[in-house]
Amino acid sequence: MHQSLPSLLFPEYRRRVLGLLLLRPDEALHGREIARRTGLPAGTITRELTKLAEVGLLKRTKRGNQQVYSADTSGPIYTELASILRKTSGLADVLVQALAPAATKLRLAFVFGSVARGEETAGSDVDVMLIGELGFREAVELLYPCQAILGREVNPKVFATPEFTEKAAAEPFLRDVLAKPKIFLIGNAHDLEELVGS
Amino acid sequence: MPMTLKNLLGLSLDAVAPDKAHIGKLLAAAERNLADARLQGLSTENRFDASYKAIMQLAMVALNANGYRTMTSKPGHHQTAIQTLPTSVGLAQNKVIVLDALRKQRNLSDYSGDLVSDAAAAECLASASDLLAHVRAWLAAHRPELL
Repeated sequence: MHQSLPSLLFPEYRRRVLGLLLLRPDEALHGREIARRTGLPAGTITRELTKLAEVGLLKRTKRGNQQVYSADTSGPIYTELASILRKTSGLADVLVQALAPAATKLRLAFVFGSVARGEETAGSDVDVMLIGELGFREAVELLYPCQAILGREVNPKVFATPEFTEKAAAEPFLRDVLAKPKIFLIGNAHDLEELVGS
Repeated sequence: MPMTLKNLLGLSLDAVAPDKAHIGKLLAAAERNLADARLQGLSTENRFDASYKAIMQLAMVALNANGYRTMTSKPGHHQTAIQTLPTSVGLAQNKVIVLDALRKQRNLSDYSGDLVSDAAAAECLASASDLLAHVRAWLAAHRPELL
């Protein structure tokens, strides 16, 4: 298995921190909050934040007696770097935001296929599984704008919840999807297990 | 340069004479496929396929009525047939986006064995029925001699 593009470009911690802050340029966060939202240890993250602030990718400001970090949007490569993150590790963010208007209709949403496995190539599409009370047309219309942002085609698979539950166990395509890595957008692995009753 | 059918000549389209008999056969075939797409005894996949065939036949009607056909020797002739619909019969872009997503779904089910969901089959039937009405209305308004 080859290394995924984002993990080749950036070490894991850096990718998560930059993915969080550069894709939310309006947010200024404290180190502990960044650690919580990236799932990284608070101790290690301070060093990472300091380094990123020193090279001008992040801005460090004081809020009360706290140091907060945010994207330095005036930096010379901010726009390009944010674009790279959006197309790689920020992919899930882009999709979650696109699906937000239909979130109440969706029981589960996840990316599967080569992108979820970290085996994507330049021409790979993004396969998105949507389970709930959503029409195919609505899914296409919600996800269509993502294609230009991500620079990839997005293929939605839309299943009603009972249909998915009924077919998941026996149908080879769904069994394959269930067995392989996923990036969850709405719901989690536990919700999926509940749905398929395993 | 805006896309015209003429500047696709030799790239993905051939010129043909509009043909009333040909259009009549395609419209009848599309209607048969739409009837089959409603047969509940068929698998979701086959109902989807029947609707998708109707979409292709209707896109061929749209091109023929304008004096064109797709070059089947070139890859991507389904894509060409769908993406020329705004130019050939003035179909709205938001409908073309859905038709193109159905085309990709069809590729994935035909060549990778992806499962066709009820939602995809339902949309394929709705889109095909809508396209039939659109193409008929367009012919009646712009090329009544071909009906």
